[in-house]
Amino acid sequence: MEIKLEGIVIIVGNYGSGKSEVSINLAAKKKHEGADVRIADLDLVNPYFRTREARGALTKLGIDVVLPPQRYLQADLPILDPAVAGMIRSPGQLSLIDAGGDDVGATVLASLAESFKDRSYSMLQVVNPLRPFTDSIDGCLKIRREIETASKMTINGLIANPNLIEETTPEDIINGYNFVEKLSWASGLPLKLLAISSGLLPKVNSKQFSCPVLPIKRQLVPPWKKAEKF
Amino acid sequence: MAKVLMKGNEAIGEAAIRAGCLNYFAYPITPQSEVAEYLSRRLEDVGGVFLQGESDVAVSYMILGAAAAGARVFTTSSSPGISLMSEGISYIVGDQCPAVFVNIMRGGPGLGGILPSQADYLQATKGIGHGDCRMLVMAPASVQDAVEMVMLAFPLAEKYRNPVMILGDGLIGQMMEPVEFPDHLKTEPSNKDDWATNGMDTRKSNSRNLIRSLFLEPEQLNQNNLILRAKYEQMKKEEIRYDAYNTDTDYKVLIVSYGTMSRVCRTAIDQLKAEGLEVGMIRPQSLFPFPEKAIEDAATKKSCKSVTSIEMSMGQMVEDVERSVKGKLPVSWYGKCGGDVPTPEEVIEAVKKLVE
Repeated sequence: MEIKLEGIVIIVGNYGSGKSEVSINLAAKKKHEGADVRIADLDLVNPYFRTREARGALTKLGIDVVLPPQRYLQADLPILDPAVAGMIRSPGQLSLIDAGGDDVGATVLASLAESFKDRSYSMLQVVNPLRPFTDSIDGCLKIRREIETASKMTINGLIANPNLIEETTPEDIINGYNFVEKLSWASGLPLKLLAISSGLLPKVNSKQFSCPVLPIKRQLVPPWKKAEKF
Repeated sequence: MAKVLMKGNEAIGEAAIRAGCLNYFAYPITPQSEVAEYLSRRLEDVGGVFLQGESDVAVSYMILGAAAAGARVFTTSSSPGISLMSEGISYIVGDQCPAVFVNIMRGGPGLGGILPSQADYLQATKGIGHGDCRMLVMAPASVQDAVEMVMLAFPLAEKYRNPVMILGDGLIGQMMEPVEFPDHLKTEPSNKDDWATNGMDTRKSNSRNLIRSLFLEPEQLNQNNLILRAKYEQMKKEEIRYDAYNTDTDYKVLIVSYGTMSRVCRTAIDQLKAEGLEVGMIRPQSLFPFPEKAIEDAATKKSCKSVTSIEMSMGQMVEDVERSVKGKLPVSWYGKCGGDVPTPEEVIEAVKKLVE
């Protein structure tokens, strides 16, 4: 099934839901399919394991990565590059915005309200039901409300990202998918994507899912592991 | 219980709750603020107390107050914050109260940086506060390890009536791994009536408990220090923890490494093995007390020609490794201390130089 996302796509969710891995892999996939792709790392809350750590791999693929200036990359400061506002005004084929975790991370989006005015966008909530606080429908809905209040924007889709990293089983994927389907029903939000680690893909029948599958090649790894090659 | 995917900082918070600790006082600092984030949501559900202090110094005395009253209590911070807590920690040691401190280390000295570091080794193991002040120090290498050490820290703190420190680097706090939690412990220190200032209601004896670190009479102060010394000696006998990797081979080099740095070393050891060079590793899980005997034994294996301490500091653990090896082999150091964790390739290069 083809992934039909274009224009401005904002990726939100709770801490550690996998926003950055999803954003990076979505950028790589759409680029591979021939789209013109830009990605902005707006994570002003997390100190480590951010999209910026994959900038080398992304740039090599020809993806435009919008980041704070190099000398502030490791700063514990909320820096919002003016290029992000420009990106929203003329998003091209696909402009991905990887926001920070929770309502705190989404607050930065409110400061871009002027740029978002009268523009259509997809704002997708990443859900990993194997994480604390999003293991129940109520938990996911609470985070949705908090993010919407903080960002002054509206979430209009879901991304299922059920995983325990290397320890994920095919059952975790099926159970996670079923959980997010229920959430989709409860929230009225369409399920746009199901993220599955590319290593697990052969063990899962993708035809059973109602939405396209995004294969994940893990990029944000600890120093004793190597990022998977695109 | 099924596994969940957790950030180290979240898992540390949850582990404390599972250990029966419902009192958490803290002051935020990167890279450990998610512990406070997590517990500010979770403690309310379980009837606990999260209080943000007005400073790290204040927090250290809030810990003392709760511990003196016999409550299980803990805090988390990162390097500069721990320096500020150092005064209170010394009081808690002198007062003989149990408490748990978690230090998710960042780069220093001074404000340093927010990336991972292990440069508080000497502070934690030898200079955590003024006076003859020591604490038991354990260093996790994975999120699961952090959970188990936090859950062990509370009963150990109570066993010794002394603070215990969990010394993790920034990666331990920030990385995500699947974890599972063991069952809850009993929620109150079992021996607290013997020492806590918790009122006379449940007491068997009629004598009051007094908690203090002020002893103006030289004899009394000396006596208090002798009690503390005896506890440190008992820790050296009973609380040494370590694990060994690839030491059943005829290794030429012995690595001593702890925390997440030891996981980089593991990858390097596996790659070196594939290239035909055997390297063993001792990973201290307790840093005080230090596993001297295990390192000495591993270093004296006939095949071993060289010992190296690999750490994210400028060689703070080297002295302890040298003391363990007792001059029988040369001890070298490799490490980095700016925040970028050495890669397996860099470790391999450093190890190869030792056998050239």
